Amino acid sequence: MYDLVDYSVVDISKSEQDYQVIKQLLLQSDLDLDPQVTTFIVAKLNNNCIACAGLDHNIIKCVAIDPDYRGNQLNLTLIDYTMKYANDNGYFHLFLYTKPENIAFFKACGFYPIVEISNLVVLMENTPVGIKQYCKQLSQYQKAGNKIGSIVMNANPFTKGHQYLIEFAANQCDWVHVFVVNEDVSLFPFQVRLQLVKDGTKDIKNVTVHASSSYIISKATFPTYFLKDKSKIDYAYMGIDLLIFRNYIAPALNITHRFVGTEPHSEVTNAYNKAMKYWLEDDKVSSSFKITVIEVARKLEESNIISASLVRNSLALKNYEQVKKLVPSTTWNYISANLDKLNI
Amino acid sequence: MKIQKEAMAGTLESSDLLVKVMPNTGIEIVINSDVNKQFGDQIRAVVNNTLNELNLTDGLIIIDDKGALDCAIKARVQCAVLRGAEETELDWSKLL
Repeated sequence: MYDLVDYSVVDISKSEQDYQVIKQLLLQSDLDLDPQVTTFIVAKLNNNCIACAGLDHNIIKCVAIDPDYRGNQLNLTLIDYTMKYANDNGYFHLFLYTKPENIAFFKACGFYPIVEISNLVVLMENTPVGIKQYCKQLSQYQKAGNKIGSIVMNANPFTKGHQYLIEFAANQCDWVHVFVVNEDVSLFPFQVRLQLVKDGTKDIKNVTVHASSSYIISKATFPTYFLKDKSKIDYAYMGIDLLIFRNYIAPALNITHRFVGTEPHSEVTNAYNKAMKYWLEDDKVSSSFKITVIEVARKLEESNIISASLVRNSLALKNYEQVKKLVPSTTWNYISANLDKLNI
Repeated sequence: MKIQKEAMAGTLESSDLLVKVMPNTGIEIVINSDVNKQFGDQIRAVVNNTLNELNLTDGLIIIDDKGALDCAIKARVQCAVLRGAEETELDWSKLL
């Protein structure tokens, strides 16, 4: 029978019929349709759709098999086709998020768990050595010392506030590792943001600036379609992101502290800072060493708290005098030379 | 011979195997098999032999095996390595 199964790729943004069929199929498995997925690999038997798997860049999402056809290793061929399609499109290193009860299902397809939040979500990748190899590369930058600090920032763009936070950490620690988040959904392209952080910290001797990898998770791509309880979305996302940091990244560099700016204005980031203490410091959530979280009060410019969003707003209002006050000269040099490219 | 780019060969179907290769310094082999307990050593020996015959010096080889026979293992490994090494001049007699 399974020789008769046809596999094809469909774009559900182009076909209302395919969209409805896949939505139904997912519903049978208690899954929603993730709004970011439009490409699906579908398995058809006698023109009936019996299984599907979605692909959002390098993340496999929305995998479902018709309950009548389960137990026939359909998962293997389905994921096989999906991996090859991704491979043909330049995505070799694949990730997926799923409920912990499905770990065995995806293990059989060559995926390996990275971190798990019990009863909620697990992140898997299609190589048994992916994160291990990444940590090996990272450990080349290991520095000696008892107090090794870390900061993760988007730096969109790098402000005097970021500079202050790094200086503050560098004064307290033997060494500080700064990770610049690698995703190009920001106003300033990643390569520029990275360069501006490097330029703005070159006078601080005990700092290494790293480009973050696919292992620092972007909120933008974190899928939530399988989470029944939507109030758990942020909890699940932060858990995954912070446990990767605590279990893999921090041990590779002997990181003992993580520095973060206080958030008087943004409820979301404020909640994130609270979650950070839980996931990085609590003994119950991980067997890896705890990482002490240090909140640092934000630097003020006159009465304004310096933030990258304030800089972007000021840019949008063409208030260049204000911008100049908020960013280090290195960042200002870039902005003033590239005003036309920033599309504001 | 070195692995220059990521490549794969094979499938995850029963009695087959999926071989993924990627650039690496030195050779590293990771084998995950449904029949690891009975045939793990044998699979590793076939993979090692195949890589030696190809004179591969650098590459990460990841294998997800679903109970493939030795000849299938050899063929899939050769195929993935040659794809990943971007080899244009082939000595076919060495592949037998």
